[in-house]
Amino acid sequence: MMMASMVANGNRDGRQGEALVLKGVDPETCMIVFKNHWAQVVKILEKHDPLRSNTSSNMASAVQNYVEHMLFLLMEEDAGQAGAMGPILEFVVMENVMERLFLWSLRRQFTDDMKLEQLKMYEMIVGQARQPLLHHKPVLRPLMMLLSSCSGTAGPEVEAELVSLLNQLCCVLAKDQSVLELFFHTSEDQGAANFLIFSLLIPFIHREGLVGQQARDALLLIMSLSAENQRVAQHIAENTYFCPVLATGLSGLYSSLPTKLEVPGEEWHCLHREDWLQMPTLVQFLNSLEFCNAVIQVAHPSIRDQLVSYIYNGFLVPVLAPALHKLTLEEVMTTTAYLDLFVRSVSEPILLQTFLSFILLHRHENVHILDTLVSRINTPFQLGTVSLALFQTLIGLYCEDVMLQLILRYLIPCNHMMLSQRRVVKERDFYSVSAAKILALTPSCCSPEHSPPPLRQLDSILWSKGTDNKTEESFLEEDGSGYSCVIGSEIYLDVNYLHYLYNARLGISSCTRACQVWSAPYDGEDPPPEEYQPSALEEAGARGRQAQTVNPKRSHPHPRPRPPCPPQTTDPAPTNQLELEWDDSYDAGPVVPPEAATAESSRPPQPPAAEPPKHIQEMRRTAIMLVKGSYIEESDFQDDVMVYDLVAKKDEDHFKVSSLQEKDEVPLSNGLSLPPHPTNMEVNSSEVTKGSKEVKAHVADHNSNLQSPLATEVGDDLMDQYEELIRTLGSDEAGTGGSSHVKTVDKEFRNPVVTPMEEDEVDFSSFSVDTPELEKQHSSLFGTKLRSGSTRSHSVPFTGPFVSVLLSRLENMLDNSLHVNLLLTGILAQLAAYPQPLLQSFLLNTNMVFQPSVRSLYQVLASLKNQIEQQASTKKDFPELITSAQHCLLARESSLKGQDTNSGDSRECSPLEAGRMMKSSPPPQPKTISLARTEVFATVLFTEFLKELAAIAQEHSILSHVPMEE
Amino acid sequence: TYLNDFWEKGRSDGEEQSGEQQQPRASPARPSFGKKQLPSIPKNAVPITKPASPAAMAQLANGTHASYGPFYLEYSLLAEFTLVIKQKLPGIYVQPSYKSALMWFGVIFIRHGLYQDGVFKFTVYIPDNYPDGECPRVVFDIPVFHPLVDPVSGELDVRRAFTKWRRNHNHIWQVLMYARTVFYKINTMEPLNPEAAVLYDKDVQLFKSKVVDSVKLCNSHLFDQPKMDDPYAISFSSWNPAIHDEAKERMFTHKRRPEDHQKGLQVSGLSWVKPGSTQPFSRDDNPPLS
Repeated sequence: MMMASMVANGNRDGRQGEALVLKGVDPETCMIVFKNHWAQVVKILEKHDPLRSNTSSNMASAVQNYVEHMLFLLMEEDAGQAGAMGPILEFVVMENVMERLFLWSLRRQFTDDMKLEQLKMYEMIVGQARQPLLHHKPVLRPLMMLLSSCSGTAGPEVEAELVSLLNQLCCVLAKDQSVLELFFHTSEDQGAANFLIFSLLIPFIHREGLVGQQARDALLLIMSLSAENQRVAQHIAENTYFCPVLATGLSGLYSSLPTKLEVPGEEWHCLHREDWLQMPTLVQFLNSLEFCNAVIQVAHPSIRDQLVSYIYNGFLVPVLAPALHKLTLEEVMTTTAYLDLFVRSVSEPILLQTFLSFILLHRHENVHILDTLVSRINTPFQLGTVSLALFQTLIGLYCEDVMLQLILRYLIPCNHMMLSQRRVVKERDFYSVSAAKILALTPSCCSPEHSPPPLRQLDSILWSKGTDNKTEESFLEEDGSGYSCVIGSEIYLDVNYLHYLYNARLGISSCTRACQVWSAPYDGEDPPPEEYQPSALEEAGARGRQAQTVNPKRSHPHPRPRPPCPPQTTDPAPTNQLELEWDDSYDAGPVVPPEAATAESSRPPQPPAAEPPKHIQEMRRTAIMLVKGSYIEESDFQDDVMVYDLVAKKDEDHFKVSSLQEKDEVPLSNGLSLPPHPTNMEVNSSEVTKGSKEVKAHVADHNSNLQSPLATEVGDDLMDQYEELIRTLGSDEAGTGGSSHVKTVDKEFRNPVVTPMEEDEVDFSSFSVDTPELEKQHSSLFGTKLRSGSTRSHSVPFTGPFVSVLLSRLENMLDNSLHVNLLLTGILAQLAAYPQPLLQSFLLNTNMVFQPSVRSLYQVLASLKNQIEQQASTKKDFPELITSAQHCLLARESSLKGQDTNSGDSRECSPLEAGRMMKSSPPPQPKTISLARTEVFATVLFTEFLKELAAIAQEHSILSHVPMEE
Repeated sequence: TYLNDFWEKGRSDGEEQSGEQQQPRASPARPSFGKKQLPSIPKNAVPITKPASPAAMAQLANGTHASYGPFYLEYSLLAEFTLVIKQKLPGIYVQPSYKSALMWFGVIFIRHGLYQDGVFKFTVYIPDNYPDGECPRVVFDIPVFHPLVDPVSGELDVRRAFTKWRRNHNHIWQVLMYARTVFYKINTMEPLNPEAAVLYDKDVQLFKSKVVDSVKLCNSHLFDQPKMDDPYAISFSSWNPAIHDEAKERMFTHKRRPEDHQKGLQVSGLSWVKPGSTQPFSRDDNPPLS
């Protein structure tokens, strides 16, 4: 009581007044006053030992008065000359004033109020003294005794004050490390070599509100101290429970998060800031996660590594992994949304690495988390959308490890393309051929010719009509008027395409810059495809595993997590391919109709090695039952829909799946109703026409074979035969002669020399070799370097589950809801912006010849165009609907720009909104269009997506080839 | 002499805006749904089911939408230009015109041989059906005395070296290389300037003196205003320390800069892959997770 009131005054106006008064007083007088006061206090203390007699409140308040004055005098005293103690401080130290006062308090009833008084007293003098006090044991020791007496049970007020004082002490520590030694020494005096102020803070790590914040701030100060001070680091890592408390605290906080989120609408797919701000438990979790992030950022490596390890073994593996495999779709969806939020919230690379290695490498019940997450993209429920959003986040990290696991490792062996195409990987598209081919897929109902020119007139692209009709004479006109440039206004230019180009440029540039830290260019040469053929990979993986397990790191309480295992899906056994496809696409998580379990007889052959978890197995079995006999790998994309449709119908009671209702109308085509595969490309050269027709025929044959139930058994042979066929064709072609010359010339000028050339030796006649131009594909398809088919026949080309699942969802674009399509196309555009030639050539190079079993983005787009044209031809009002959808989307875009919060999503979208946005114009379309008309929205989006991709392809043709500067 | 240091300008315009924006890697902002850009729809738009006009349909060519033709052309030429940059052709500098990507301004420095010390400005004209048309033309601002240069128009006979311009095989840097080579290796076959050809074959001394005169003439016009009124036309001015010293300084220090830059640069990408490995988190400096 006594000092509390004093401090309260002192901290505010009281102290100010006193300070002013003291300004003029000479130190000697102050000293005399101080001594007098102390003498009075001592008298009281000696007379009234609280243990022997009751201290009257009079006595207590008398002491309070004296101490109040004494402390002011102490605080206001300046240090002596050359850092020596001032006389008052010297007296305090000599007479052990502080300890005697503390002991006296202790002998009375040491209530919370008393503690509060003492704490405030110290807070005041530590914070405001003009000379360092803590260096002196007689000051420090009673303080430490006070602190340790406050640990354990205490009321919230005391806790708050304690943390506040600890925070202040940490500030002093951060400024003056010499005190640090003393903190350790005083501790030792008490028997235990501990770092009391640190240990006292630990229980408050996860506290919410101001107390928690102050504690975390204080701890962070010590953490940054640890980075420079080995002793502190060692102590924290070895003698405290700091890291375990921090990590398991995350687990605790996580368990109090809602297991099912109240989702605002179907469109919702990730936790935005405004979402989680409404959830106190989530805010608290994020605070702690942010604190971990900060600790890892500033702490000594030993603490950092320990904390990271505890987060992995104490939170991610035991808590998050099971949470990702919970029993209901909603729970799993919620966990996925949390994981996405966590990955977005973490900024420190090492912590991010921890999360990523959990996602990429950890196996839960023998299945990689990554595989499970990828497979969920394909669920027709909101889980699919949320999973997509997670992958959007992951891809946006520009992380080599992520991209490697998701896609690149499947592309490195280059088995997805015809062998001769490897050199095409790095080739650049000089004339925007790919962009043109992509844009040529624009549905006729959306072609720019069909819509009136935009409001904004083009004025930024200038191009010359050049010399079309100019004669040689006018060409030479002195004034150059023949070359005055004309704005191409007579040709309709898609202004909006300029924005796509601009965005593509931004996206590619920042991605390219980010990828400079990557270990390899992934250009089809580095890493060398030969070294990463599936068989070789296996060995390397096994070796890597051994190397990893030999690594005896220091002993921590938790076992080392499973070392990275070799990529599973590169397992070459062709019979497993079917299985893998199932794994990749059909883990719908927990949706298991009970009757499925009885169907033991129809159980498909299991892969020998890793048994997938039960729910996946059962799901798979169910799916097989449902489509019994009709599932064939080559046509799986169509069937995905069917399976989910059926599954969804079965579960309709539990989940409302309205979007799938229309599915029945869509004819299921199991045949390869794909657009012409690039292998069947137009053949101009007469020499090869005949041969390629044969190839075509054979390919077709094989494809139809693949649809028969025997497919998996004979597929391998067919691949051999196919290769063989191409090989013989190749040798025939070489035998006819004539083309070899062309090839050498090609070699010379297709890959221009980069080094500055000193001239004179160049034979310019070679520039104009008068030979018929051979289409690139042919010279390469039937080129020289075809290998014997034996090596490759064992691995069926596969571009990985992620690509497969993305394309499969894209294929269903017309049935997807708008937001799913926005996410999908967004992710694909994100991928397309990556500068790695392997990725670029796979996604954007329309000239690339892939293996027949490999599905390319272009193929999917082409098939979508066909679907759209079909729709347009059968529905009379399609063009009208398209215009309505365009208005609706425009309005939506404008409203998104206007206000960031997009919580209210109505099912109906009125063009009136659009009208309002375009101020002066009256509402042009009175008709509203329901978002349920997915095919209409998808058509509009598809057209825009083509532009986006084409723009990216065009920018790649320039950007990826300019040496990076700055 | 002062050249715009156009080597740093990968593109004629719009370059500056592009590089700056960088997404913070830490927590990538999620692009909102409004990301796609839709073409703005004009007032009173009425869906048109048939082609707006026969003229519009006429623009369709080669099965692609002709409306994107200018974009393809523009990017083809930009790609050509980046190739030229990569070649680092000795003594040749070019810069596309501000007004049209089909016109490039150039200058060539001859450092030895008969035409030593010659500084010839030229313009490259690229046909607008590039790359499917004729080969680009090279016209010197002042007709140099040379068997292959038209004495009136200044046009260089490029076509003899590129009888047929072939896409993917022929590139503009080759034309520039050729324009340089003719000054080192004189060819008198089928000349555009018969006088020069005859002299070279019959009286080399006179040819040489005529060349010297021609070089002098060209160099005396070096500081003339550019022939073309174009912001990116190459113009020379006499040495002005106030301007040029600093530019020179920058050119000499430029080489060292990219490396210094890369070290200090805060890169936003992530990688824990050990070079030579395709295993994620294979680098040795990964913190152990146990």
